Amino acid sequence: MTRPSLGQDYGCVVCHADMRRAFVEGVHAERGIVCADCHGGDPAALETLPAHSGDFIGAPGKRETVELCASCHSSPDLMRQYGLEAGQLAEFRTSRHGQLLEQGDLNAPSCSDCHDSHRIYPPGDARSRVYPTNIPGTCGSCHQDADMMAVYGASTDVIDRYLESAHSAQLFGKHNFAAPSCIGCHGAHSALPPRISEISNVCGHCHVLVQSAFESGPHGAAAARGVPFGCTDCHSNHGTEGTSPDAIQATCARCHAEGSEPAMLGADIESHILHASADLLRADSAIQQLVLDGRDVTDVRFRYQSALTEFSQLAQVQHSLDVQRLDDLTLRVSSISRDIRGAAEVSAERRWEHKLFLIPVWFLALAAIFLAWVKLRKVS
Amino acid sequence: MKASLDPSLLSIPRFLGLLYGRIDRSLSIEEAWEKAMRRRLPSYVGWRHAFGGITYFLFILLVVTGVLLTLYYRPTAQEAYRSTQYVATEVPMGWLVRDLHVWGANLIVLAVLAHMARVLFAGAYKPPRETSWFIGLLLLGVVLAFGATGHLLPWDQWAYWTTSEVLFALGQVPLFGHPAATLLAGGEVLSDATLNRFYTLHAILLPWLAFTLLMLHFTVVRRYGVAPPKGAARASDSEGVPFFPNHLLRSFIASVAVLALAISLAILFPRPVSGPADPLNVPGELTSTWVVVDVSLALVRYIGHWGFTVFLLLGLAMALLPFADRGAEYRLRRRPLVLALGVIFFAGFLIAWAVGARQSYEPTSATVRPGVHAEALPSSGAAAPSAEVAEPGVEADDPEPADDGGAPGGDQ
Repeated sequence: MTRPSLGQDYGCVVCHADMRRAFVEGVHAERGIVCADCHGGDPAALETLPAHSGDFIGAPGKRETVELCASCHSSPDLMRQYGLEAGQLAEFRTSRHGQLLEQGDLNAPSCSDCHDSHRIYPPGDARSRVYPTNIPGTCGSCHQDADMMAVYGASTDVIDRYLESAHSAQLFGKHNFAAPSCIGCHGAHSALPPRISEISNVCGHCHVLVQSAFESGPHGAAAARGVPFGCTDCHSNHGTEGTSPDAIQATCARCHAEGSEPAMLGADIESHILHASADLLRADSAIQQLVLDGRDVTDVRFRYQSALTEFSQLAQVQHSLDVQRLDDLTLRVSSISRDIRGAAEVSAERRWEHKLFLIPVWFLALAAIFLAWVKLRKVS
Repeated sequence: MKASLDPSLLSIPRFLGLLYGRIDRSLSIEEAWEKAMRRRLPSYVGWRHAFGGITYFLFILLVVTGVLLTLYYRPTAQEAYRSTQYVATEVPMGWLVRDLHVWGANLIVLAVLAHMARVLFAGAYKPPRETSWFIGLLLLGVVLAFGATGHLLPWDQWAYWTTSEVLFALGQVPLFGHPAATLLAGGEVLSDATLNRFYTLHAILLPWLAFTLLMLHFTVVRRYGVAPPKGAARASDSEGVPFFPNHLLRSFIASVAVLALAISLAILFPRPVSGPADPLNVPGELTSTWVVVDVSLALVRYIGHWGFTVFLLLGLAMALLPFADRGAEYRLRRRPLVLALGVIFFAGFLIAWAVGARQSYEPTSATVRPGVHAEALPSSGAAAPSAEVAEPGVEADDPEPADDGGAPGGDQ
């Protein structure tokens, strides 16, 4: 069956041209969906009253919008052809947004609040409000509204803190779309803040090895016993940042008394990582000097990458608080760094040996000049 | 046999060559040799006239070291950098040959300018020696062209981006700038084509031009002699100090001193190498290894592309000087135009050199290219890229350091 198009003979566009302009940019128009499919009415009529007759529902309210969207998007049979999931409605009903809407709270968002009502782009379209780099702004449209959030006692600085986080730096600075935005931790349609006991699983969804190391250590064992402790106790939730190596001891001291065995362990870990970091920096300087000397640094850079790999493991292993493993890794980094610096020292030694040439050069030059000068004076 | 026992240098070819006698009779080698040995230079020729000879010596040094370098250098974008590395690190004494070539290129510019200054301020460009002056200016241009083309050949980041910057500035010069820059670069950006063109210029075209101009220069100098001071009469050929051995000894002393200086500079200040040329990565700073590049960078930064126009206009003024100053006045204070021009040219060069040697900045030519980003340099200032240190908290598959925002902790 031929689907009607939104041309001039489609009655709705006679009055609602602005909405047509928005609608035809979106993905629904590409799929042949027209106004009457959502709003009802008689698109063949050119007068208002007959056009708005029959099953015309007008602009649906928030709860009606959810039902309306779900009428297609909850049908696996219908969504299969587009490769789309069909569980959004079920997820939405579990979310805080869905629960509030169910209770009649019209502050809660419906589908069109995030996806727009007419200009609906696919999530992979950079113009979409749910494109990864646009999501903080979309969520922030409510979660940064002080008046709205005051009703729920929620803070309004979460977006600002997120924008200062390492995740935001990856997403916006490095265009690393594997980095999470709001929905990466809270879910999209099933949006809810994770419980404390769930946090390590949420973080571990990406930071798999770190989670594994954490759970194998005493912190993980404590969390398994029900102690409310997780990743955000050291790294914060929205303003998530990596702990600087020189701040590890201070972080441990937030819970462990100074001089206690856990605090000393924290100092030990900090020392290991600082040493390894310093070794890497020295190796890096040595490589730069080798390049300046004109040496081929292919092999050396390969070794440096190995040292970086070992150092990266330090970052994970430290979460297990296993000092023995940290020792091993630090020693390996140190060994590779020493080898690289050794190559730079050999190069420096050769440069020094070159300087010894100055002795015979100037001896011969001065002797030649002296003899020529004597001869010149004689003939003059 | 009796002739072969003659202790002069020609005894060797006489002893070895049975045909030497016939060759000598047709070419008069003996006569030419003895005439050269008897040649005299006026008594007013002194050490201040040594700059021309020093320049020639440095040119010979550059030719010899350049030929040695061509034995190993590969003029392609894929191999240029590695061949340069090979010469500098693997070839026996290759490091010395290469650094002598670099420092020779620096010293020859200074020697040429010193020679030019001596000629300018002494009024030695006045008729009948204006032809020698014109040829000398052309030779200055050839020396600058040699250095400009040779600077790119190592094909490292500094060479690439410095040349890119200078060509970009040249391209802004009105009328002929853009066509000239495009012709030199072989396109809109530097590429393998540019390297080929620069190598062809450096190793083939410019040497022929230089030898031709040098021969003309020497011929004209021999024809009109060294200019007498303050317009005095030219001494006759039979008066003065013998070239052999007096002036030859002076030339020898000057050459040995310059050679020792060049070797010392090459050993104490070897030309560093940055990373291989990367058209998609702009180094945080440009480091120059040639005097004229320092001057160019200073001109480009503070005057913009008009710096080249100013330089060309000054060169034109220099070329027109013999037409403007044809009188018999040789005292400098009575030639204010010459004094002003000389001070502007030479002092300006020295000031631009001093300024350019101290500055560093990102090439502006990079800003017009999409997809080019600046790499962050470590504090040592070296332009060589290397893996960044990952800080704790970063996964192994995330090589970039995480932001360090200070004290960690919950904000729940």
